[in-house]
Amino acid sequence: MALDFKGKKLIILGDRDGIPGPAIEACLKNSGAEIIFNTTECFV
Amino acid sequence: MAFAVIKGVAYCLFHAPDLLVTMGTTQRLERLKNPASEYLQQLKANLRSYPEAVSYAPNQVFIGNLWPEELAEMDRPWYNKPVADASPRGRFGDIVSEELLLGLIKFADSFELVCLEKDFQEEIKQKLTATGIFTSADFQDWKEGHTLAEIGHYLETAAAEPLYYQEQLKGCIRRAHDVDEVLNAQVMLENLVAKATGIWALRRLLQNTKTAGTEIDYVIEASEEACGDMNQRGGGNFAKAIGELAGLVNATGADIRSFCSAPAHALLVAAALVKAGIYRQVVVVGGGSVAKLGMNGRDHLKKGLPLLEDVLGAFALLVSADDGRNPVIRTDIVGRHRIGSGATPQAVMEALVVEPLQRAGLKLVDVDRYAPELQNPELTEPAGAGNVPWANYKMIAALAVLRKEIERTELEGFARRHGLPGYAPTQGHIPSGVPFLGFAREGLLEGKYQRVMIIGKGSLFLARLTKLFDGISFLIEPNKAEPGQERPDGGGFRTAMAAALRRVARELQGEEG
Repeated sequence: MALDFKGKKLIILGDRDGIPGPAIEACLKNSGAEIIFNTTECFV
Repeated sequence: MAFAVIKGVAYCLFHAPDLLVTMGTTQRLERLKNPASEYLQQLKANLRSYPEAVSYAPNQVFIGNLWPEELAEMDRPWYNKPVADASPRGRFGDIVSEELLLGLIKFADSFELVCLEKDFQEEIKQKLTATGIFTSADFQDWKEGHTLAEIGHYLETAAAEPLYYQEQLKGCIRRAHDVDEVLNAQVMLENLVAKATGIWALRRLLQNTKTAGTEIDYVIEASEEACGDMNQRGGGNFAKAIGELAGLVNATGADIRSFCSAPAHALLVAAALVKAGIYRQVVVVGGGSVAKLGMNGRDHLKKGLPLLEDVLGAFALLVSADDGRNPVIRTDIVGRHRIGSGATPQAVMEALVVEPLQRAGLKLVDVDRYAPELQNPELTEPAGAGNVPWANYKMIAALAVLRKEIERTELEGFARRHGLPGYAPTQGHIPSGVPFLGFAREGLLEGKYQRVMIIGKGSLFLARLTKLFDGISFLIEPNKAEPGQERPDGGGFRTAMAAALRRVARELQGEEG
């Protein structure tokens, strides 16, 4: 099932050792969502 | 073409449970936001003793008493399976008690900011001297210690930070300026700990390599702290501050910063300086991070684990001119995460692993061991960060599949054969590739490995200046010099040349006479 992000506001929390924020943002570039906050965290 | 070599290493750990409670960032923030929290109340009951930290298998690997491959064979969890007859002294370095650490911080203090209780200070001097890392001459300028009343006065009136050992107040550190936040007691403690632990590792490196401090030409420090004042917060220079207290009177030096990838950058710079002939012997050193003590403690307690992030790490590495024996740093096979490389794990690994190997005509399977970030998974998995080295190995293996070097079914086997278990504490720069250099050097000398890749990666985005990631990698290989052959810049060549010239001179004198 494809998720519909059109018109949605998104907060992206990326993980440095998983999927970083910029990579998630790149995937959602054409989704129609408004990315209001994007960060990548580090736990190491 | 002569490359620089890895002449020796030192890796040390410093048990710091009291500093974890008082100065670790997670605990400090919790005290600010929620001083009555359950987490804070549970801390002291969940700290490990020094013997427990010594007998922890990953710590034994870090100082060289066990090979990483041996750790891989041990069932997890490791924290409840102490290593029998574990020693705090390994062939690479030491696991130091917090008692000695407090004395070491005092030793690193050049401005009389650290005040220790006088009886405790006298005891510590003796104990530090007994380690063989220090001599009594190191403490000849120490003034008498302080009374507990004086220490209490500094804590109440001078914004000092307390220093405890086994929950007993043993001293304090005072601020270095009355208004400059960059010189307050917390920052000074963090910086002095980075300096102090770096000094121990450097002194141990000199012992391990039988090198006199006077022989070192240059020091590069690669921790994650910043020292300076309010007009130049990161002015530096840790390198010379550490070298000064390790007897490196002929060296100069500077600091390199790039979050966790700084040590790998520093090693490459060191190798380049040596290869260019600017310096013959360069040390790369990094001390420990107080802020990261107990960083994931909340998650550890939730999962029923003790507070495992209770040690500071430090390393010192000696990069030297080609001696015809030690493994070489192949500065012609370097991977770099370029500004335009992108942030996905695949893009990062392609830049760091595939691109340099491809350029050198090598395959991914040609590298015996990859040493990326070697964080102990027992520390990261409870916090949701996963098994960091294993994630790296799976990505490298996936790239090998994509390049048709291995079958998809071999992915996990590749990751196991070419990987290592994580065994380093979550101290940022400490786990980032460099902990394996000691084993890599020995394995390459013994023929156990033919090729090792060191990979450093760094989270530049944490400084909020860029969203970029960072990474750099390089290969280490056995020295290809024939047995008995020394490189033109080796001492043996100079000795042979001097003997030949003396012989010619004698013959000429004979002809004339």
